[in-house]
Amino acid sequence: MQVEIADNGAFGSALVHLRPGEEFISEGGSMFRASSNVDIDVTTRTRGSGGIMSGIKRMIGGEHFFFSRYSITDGQDAQVGLAPKLQGQVALIECDGMTRWLCAGGSYLGSGPDLGIDTQFQGLRGALSGESLFFLAVEGAGPLIVNAFGHITPLDVQGEITIDTGHVVAFQESLEYSIGKAGGSWVSSVLTSEGLVMHFSGHGRVYVQSHNPSEFGKTLGPLLPKRN
Amino acid sequence: MKHEIVGNPDYGQLQVRLDPGDRFIAEGGSMAWMGSGIQSKARMLGGVGKALFRKVTGGESLFVGEYFTDRGGEVAFSPAQPGTVMRRTLDGDSFMLTAGAFMACTPGIELGTKFGGARSIFSGEGLFLIQCSGSGELFFNSYGAILEKQVDGSFIVDTSHVVAWEPSLSYSIQGMGGLKSTLLSGEGLVMKFSGSGAIYLQTRTMPGLASWLTPFAK
Repeated sequence: MQVEIADNGAFGSALVHLRPGEEFISEGGSMFRASSNVDIDVTTRTRGSGGIMSGIKRMIGGEHFFFSRYSITDGQDAQVGLAPKLQGQVALIECDGMTRWLCAGGSYLGSGPDLGIDTQFQGLRGALSGESLFFLAVEGAGPLIVNAFGHITPLDVQGEITIDTGHVVAFQESLEYSIGKAGGSWVSSVLTSEGLVMHFSGHGRVYVQSHNPSEFGKTLGPLLPKRN
Repeated sequence: MKHEIVGNPDYGQLQVRLDPGDRFIAEGGSMAWMGSGIQSKARMLGGVGKALFRKVTGGESLFVGEYFTDRGGEVAFSPAQPGTVMRRTLDGDSFMLTAGAFMACTPGIELGTKFGGARSIFSGEGLFLIQCSGSGELFFNSYGAILEKQVDGSFIVDTSHVVAWEPSLSYSIQGMGGLKSTLLSGEGLVMKFSGSGAIYLQTRTMPGLASWLTPFAK
């Protein structure tokens, strides 16, 4: 199995090359091309865990109810192309099976069949912030494909860093994190409309996206006509 | 203080390294990430009256974030729209920005709002302008890429594509052709610049995106 990141920049996508017998999982609705020997099945299960409840949790977290599972019908090599909805870069994370990754709801694009994926809710504060604080916990070894709104920058944290929740794409669970306010006080945080941030500490890698989808939505929303 | 713009032209982001004692001002809501040494507070730039006027007329946030540090650190800012981030150094001169293009500045820059003229009211594009003056670094952003055009003589631009220009240029707002083609061509109003100086244009517009998205609104 080999994952190729194509056309990275404003409109990145991923091309997955499968060998006979191999499978791949993706976010529902993200396939934009496939060779003719690829069969698509829907599933709520990834390796080990899943079921209807996990599908419902995924929907609350801003993902599709179903994953798509790709397999090969004829014993030849196959290709599956995956593209995100939002414009932006796509990145490949090689999970080593030692540390779990947490991937922000909406940033998951696809994964190898040996990765287990479960949805985690980040507490009531997340719900109050208006930004969906759901993370997919990704466990096991294999390729994980994430997408971003804007460009993706990996940050290797040693010490502490604060990231706006709307800019977090994925991070290693070896990092300690807490959700809090950006400024010196809640008042200041609300007035500068910075909203919630995540404070990370320890050692590990975080992928951040250069732009915040909900900020863009807030700018664009007033230009659209009223819903009837 | 050190600053670096990364991700241009699609997804410009401004990364700033502050030394102890440095201060930096950025549009509210634009902070993406920052190191633990950075502190911030909400501030109204130029007092209540000026800030309120800028909010109502210029489409900018009422509050800006002021960032400072006593042990140094890094902070990064991203505009709401994907596009280019540009820097302009002011040294006692001034620079004109259209509403929404302001992103960040060092504390020596002053922002004032100017009315774009009676005709701009009818353009539907809310042509209020931000006049930047003083000394320091100014950062502005666009939706889409930014083109720099040296004008010598006269030049016509669709109002919604204008991001910034040098005040050595004068401008007037007018229709494209007669009244009929102004209303029917879909071009709306244009700005006619004359004199010599640089003008900065964005290759896409947010109203253009909004009208493309409108049929999909439920």
